[in-house]
Amino acid sequence: MKRALITGVTGQDGSYLAELLLSKGYEVHGIKRRTSLFNTDRIDHLYVDPHVEGRKFILHHGDLTDATSLIRIVQQVQPDEIYNLAAQSHVAVSFEEPEYTANSDALGALRILEAIRILGLEKTTRFYQASTSELYGLVQETPQRETTPFYPRSPYAVAKLYAYWITVNYRESYGMYACNGILFNHESPVRGETFVTRKITRALARIKLGLQECLYLGNMDSKRDWGHAKDYVEMQWLMLQQEQPEDFVIATGIQYSVREFVDAAAREIGMDIHWSGTGVDEKAFDAKGNCIVAVDPRYFRPAEVETLLGDASKAKQKLGWVPKITFEELVSEMMREDLKAAERDEVVRKHGFHTYQYHE
Amino acid sequence: MTLAAECEKEPGSMKRALITGVTGQDGSYLAEFLLQQGYEVYGLARQESWYRPNFASHLAGKVTILFGDVTEGVDIASAVQDAKPDEIYNLASQSRPGESWSRAAETLQVNGLAAVRLFEAVRHASPGTKIYHASSSEMFGQTTTDVQDEFTPFNPVNPYAAAKTYAHQMARIYRDSYNIYIASGILFNHESERRPLHFLTQKVAYGAACAALGIKNSPDRNERGRPIVEDGKLALGNLQVSRDWGYAPDFVRAMWLILQQEQPAEFVIGTGKSHTLRDLCEVAYQSVGRDWEKCVFSDPVLVRPLEPGNTVANPSKAKQLLGWAPSVSFEEMVGRMVRAQIHRLQHVQTEAES
Repeated sequence: MKRALITGVTGQDGSYLAELLLSKGYEVHGIKRRTSLFNTDRIDHLYVDPHVEGRKFILHHGDLTDATSLIRIVQQVQPDEIYNLAAQSHVAVSFEEPEYTANSDALGALRILEAIRILGLEKTTRFYQASTSELYGLVQETPQRETTPFYPRSPYAVAKLYAYWITVNYRESYGMYACNGILFNHESPVRGETFVTRKITRALARIKLGLQECLYLGNMDSKRDWGHAKDYVEMQWLMLQQEQPEDFVIATGIQYSVREFVDAAAREIGMDIHWSGTGVDEKAFDAKGNCIVAVDPRYFRPAEVETLLGDASKAKQKLGWVPKITFEELVSEMMREDLKAAERDEVVRKHGFHTYQYHE
Repeated sequence: MTLAAECEKEPGSMKRALITGVTGQDGSYLAEFLLQQGYEVYGLARQESWYRPNFASHLAGKVTILFGDVTEGVDIASAVQDAKPDEIYNLASQSRPGESWSRAAETLQVNGLAAVRLFEAVRHASPGTKIYHASSSEMFGQTTTDVQDEFTPFNPVNPYAAAKTYAHQMARIYRDSYNIYIASGILFNHESERRPLHFLTQKVAYGAACAALGIKNSPDRNERGRPIVEDGKLALGNLQVSRDWGYAPDFVRAMWLILQQEQPAEFVIGTGKSHTLRDLCEVAYQSVGRDWEKCVFSDPVLVRPLEPGNTVANPSKAKQLLGWAPSVSFEEMVGRMVRAQIHRLQHVQTEAES
């Protein structure tokens, strides 16, 4: 039986990957930070009580900013595969917390590589590094592939670029099986609520049920290549099952703007919306003429990444990987789940109980 | 400046500069240069670097030393507050690429994250201050181009280079995002009498000095604890590697020139001439009339598994916009380094005898 260790197991990708690996018969270990509020919603369905014998899903307290904790966990688990998915993953927040972002995203990756090396596991433990399409930033060619030069535009992207290079360096110098998955945006119903796709589906559901009035967004013209996280974690696993470690771009090859995402999401719940105005004055109105989407310049990034579009030919050719879930299916699933959550809130409120707004 | 002009000058109107890494080769040359230019110079240094003999020791009293460590954001912010500098030169660095493999985390802390701590401190406490950031040609790594300029993509091949790339990219993001004056100098190798003995060029200069003085087993030891020159032989790695080696005092002048531009920009600084390690040995040993081939050998143990490619600068932008050109030739620089080592070794010998 193979053992895998996942950092960031409480996150979107971590929870999907844990599910996938468990279904493949792995013993799955996850690292979570200590927090004062519960943060295990996404893995609640996988959780196994420590008193159950032979459980296959085990959580450890640890932190990417704490090398000692990582060395302890890697030593205890002796994993065959490590998936480094933990990160301060929010681009806008990285401008506010650049040092912390580097500490967790750049140094964090290095600390795991060092833990593998220090413990003498460099020939036995395989390492997956979650790289990102944000590395391309101000894109130097379209579509972007493994050979496209990087031009990061945020502290998040620069920290991730360090992690990319150090993964390549450790592979080439120590002969480690270490690879980068350069993943384009990937979403799902459990995407963090502050990421634009989830922010849209969650807000539209709440607006429909009268729990919220208006959704404020940043750059509507930003174009992204959006896939489904569930598809993408399969490729993370595939990358570690090859003969030779290599880096891969993972993307759908299709691009939509933020505005188009809003349209698709509204269509899904039968909301008839129309747009007017341009730039910061652009607004969307529902059939009754209520403004339901507006621009708030506060959400503009200091340096925008206007367009990202991936070319995953290499993954298709060498891993036999193709995304299975379409954009429409993705939006539909996200919308459906957020509508369910909003309906639950509505029911709870009707019966006189309190629900949370969950503001950022 | 005339005496009259000096009297007219308002107190406190001198330009103030803060140098991180002031005790090192570049920091100490830059401090000297800025003092000559009439600057009030502050240096950020760790206590343990300052209280041990260092390259800026002779500037004690002329340079105001602020104690602190660049791995601590509070230290950097308070140095910026205390110095209230017009210009900051961010030179503090773990400066040995080869060693960065065994000190990878520290290297990223010092060469990468420290830059961000400094940029943040300036952004909030002193947004008018100009920053010079020390980037490095190591960022080009296994480059595919014959010469490197400001547009050449990076391909770092060691933790040192990856950390320098991190800081370089962050400098660009802060410049573009916040309208702060941050300029970067992508400096190719620059050497001098003040290079520590573990650096390749200094090792060769030292070897040549030993040959000149007839020293068969040198008093100074290498990283492996062996005499640098053992049984009259100097062990080096791959003799075919070629580098663009310039003279450090020329390069600190470029740093200053970079900050005198109206707009902050990135500049490649190098001589544009490449020499192999073999050339370096030949010039060094020849300067003392010795045959290098009898004194130097290539030790396979010292050949790095992942060598950066053979890099050479295209410094046209610096030449054109800064009017910068190196003033000391490769031969002259090597000669100076060898003479300095002879002088030092003679001093050591006299001390040993007495």
